[in-house]
Amino acid sequence: MRTIDDFTRPLEYLSPLDDPLGMVVREWAETCVIPYRRRFDEDWKEHELIEPAFKRLMGELGMQRVLFPEDLGGWGLGRSNYAGTSSYRLFEEVARADSGMAVAFGVIYWPMVMICMEPHVNRELCEEFAPIFCSTTEPRFAANAMTEPQGGADIENMEIVKGSTIQTTAVLDGDEWVINGHKLWPTNSGGVCNLFGVVCTTNPGSEDPNDFAFIFVPADTPGVTQGPPYEKAGMAADKNGDIWFENVRVPKSYRAHGPGLDLLYFKEVITFGNMGSIAFVGGSMMNVYERLKDFVSEETYRGKPLKEHDAVAGVLADIARDIEIIRIVGYQYARMIDRPDLYGPRWSDEMVAKGRAYKYWACDRAVEDVGKAMNLMSTYGADRDWDVEKHWRDLKIVQLWMGGKQLCQAEVARWFFECETL
Amino acid sequence: MSDHDLFPYLYEWASDMDVSLAGNLRRWAENEVMAKRLELKEDYEQLLEPAMRKLFLEIGMQRLLWPEEHGGDGHNTPAASLTITAALEQVARGDVGIALLLSSLWALQSAVAMEGAVNGEACAALAEAVAGRDEPALVSLVLPLFRDEPQAAAKHGKGGWTVEAASTRPLACGGNASLYAVLCALQGSEEEWGVLLIPGDAKGIERGDALKRTGLAADINTPVSFGKVKVPEGMCVAEGREACRAMLSWLYLGISASTVGALFASYEILKEWGDSRVIKGRGHIFKENPLTAAVMAEVAKETSLARMLTWDLARILSEPAVYGPPGQEGNHVTAAMVVHQVSQAAENAINRAMEMMASAGYAREWNLERYWRDVKALQLCLGPYELAKMDVSRYFYRASTL
Repeated sequence: MRTIDDFTRPLEYLSPLDDPLGMVVREWAETCVIPYRRRFDEDWKEHELIEPAFKRLMGELGMQRVLFPEDLGGWGLGRSNYAGTSSYRLFEEVARADSGMAVAFGVIYWPMVMICMEPHVNRELCEEFAPIFCSTTEPRFAANAMTEPQGGADIENMEIVKGSTIQTTAVLDGDEWVINGHKLWPTNSGGVCNLFGVVCTTNPGSEDPNDFAFIFVPADTPGVTQGPPYEKAGMAADKNGDIWFENVRVPKSYRAHGPGLDLLYFKEVITFGNMGSIAFVGGSMMNVYERLKDFVSEETYRGKPLKEHDAVAGVLADIARDIEIIRIVGYQYARMIDRPDLYGPRWSDEMVAKGRAYKYWACDRAVEDVGKAMNLMSTYGADRDWDVEKHWRDLKIVQLWMGGKQLCQAEVARWFFECETL
Repeated sequence: MSDHDLFPYLYEWASDMDVSLAGNLRRWAENEVMAKRLELKEDYEQLLEPAMRKLFLEIGMQRLLWPEEHGGDGHNTPAASLTITAALEQVARGDVGIALLLSSLWALQSAVAMEGAVNGEACAALAEAVAGRDEPALVSLVLPLFRDEPQAAAKHGKGGWTVEAASTRPLACGGNASLYAVLCALQGSEEEWGVLLIPGDAKGIERGDALKRTGLAADINTPVSFGKVKVPEGMCVAEGREACRAMLSWLYLGISASTVGALFASYEILKEWGDSRVIKGRGHIFKENPLTAAVMAEVAKETSLARMLTWDLARILSEPAVYGPPGQEGNHVTAAMVVHQVSQAAENAINRAMEMMASAGYAREWNLERYWRDVKALQLCLGPYELAKMDVSRYFYRASTL
């Protein structure tokens, strides 16, 4: 019988961790998430059902430690040459069960990319923050605080606005940064965050890359306030909310790298965000395949399984085709991340643009395909019992985050067509 | 000029009453639903049920198409297709789920109460539920889920019909319907299909647990089983494929008009976003950016064309002397094509509108995601498009085995 494992993966460049880790996470998904996920929507605020699954994955199985160096209690993935392909598989397996959990899990790594990845490991900050994640079996969350009320995704539109719209300020006062500002929407906010990576400016209105600052702020620092989680169309496991920074003081050393380099390596964060998004799409789509296959095999039309109707089969083929291609493209991009010696630095405009292209293509295909899958299921397609509508809601969110589709289009056109004013 | 007047339709077809009714229902939507939903969200008991009672009972929408001699308002002519289009656009702008419930009721009324073909026995039996009781008349349609395969069977015998079906999936309100209208495969009849009316409290009805679904919160749906339910002779209200198709054509019109209403609401939300959002730093208003303007244009195009098509369908159903009866194969296929086209256009338009709004697109606070979920759930009431296409091909290409 065909299963999700029959969708193609590039076997020659899978990491040594791929199958061992993948199987551990699949087991976790089958026992800790899938039996409960139909009740997650009502659990969006309290996380009474969701929290134990996070504890198992991140704390007890240790997935929150993977990027940190081994001698600090981590698994050293940040210094390996398979961080991309390994994390792609992890994200895919988690998203198959619940893409809200996948993004919450994936975003723990996001600020850590700035300090844990070769060739720009910041050893001092790794030592400072590793205990938060590596010395406990409780789940710990990190978040990138980027989006602001006035400009939304403008923060991520670096090529045009060059940080000039950032209104969260960081002022050096002796050996401390003093941070003031208001951020919206980060994954892992809404009250759960333990460590923020905060996008700031040291000179409001400036387009100088040296004034872009990425500063770590432990969530329990005086002056940090997290608002309650927002209610969304889906992804109950991912809490998002407002964060206010009022005269928040952190050591000078909490700036990731310093003038110029913060912005440079921040683009790598976008690269990983794109890769993760494709993996979330791929994982969700594989579960859509599983559930849809059950449905069209069980339901009959004119005495035969629905899947045996030629016109229905045509749609099923389109869906399978897209899952196959999404997976191949996603792994390919992960491999490009793992081999900067061949494909260039992960923070290059080229890597960012190509990641945007793959991400928005995968999202577009998935949103359309899951809509069609629901349609094949007649009115059952809207039922939570069949899980497909959950993935449909979640996938739409993946499509819209990180600045949405138009920012992707702008960056892709800018790089491939060398546009100068977009 | 209201925003809705931006989207053209041949308003020469609409009567003064249609226009006036639309204005009243626009106020109902704004006052009873939209003004309260930021606080009450999709709460059934506090928001949706009171709004529904006001609409069905106080404003009297459940009596609109009902014959005067049975206590209704007597707008039971084919021209009511235009009236319900004008009405449902506004109702769905407020809440798509409530519009579906009204569409179901009006589809049934088209089958039993249309001038010249009033089913006196059925109307007398239903008069209390529609025009007498102080409860919304909720009609649960049990239709084929997969094109032409009824979910229920009815056997004709002495004194009437016996309906049998296990775990059917009604279109809506399986859990609280005052009346079920079940499209059955008929046994012991010359006709293949018929719609049988079954009171909600009839012996032999069993309801399952309430279904959790992606949208349409005003609709409390459950699986429903009919265990040898006895139905009097006269309660087979639409006997034969053409009669059943006529009811479906009216239902498709209702769903199409409701979808247009959701598009109006989505347009309004997107317009507010486009007017106020600043991108690329100070001074760049969102709607003035060519890339986003191109997508916003697509939303407006889909909304405009969906409305025109829907009114065209309403006009066809309003003039059977010109276009033939609503259950005629050509008209039924037209109705199916229109509703699928409008539904897909709406799915595309709202998807694109959400893209414009990034995170706000999926935040409950902005309401757009609610119309997105509702429109998709409404689309699924039509069954798989791939199977509906078989009817279209059968008609246009004279295919005989599809």
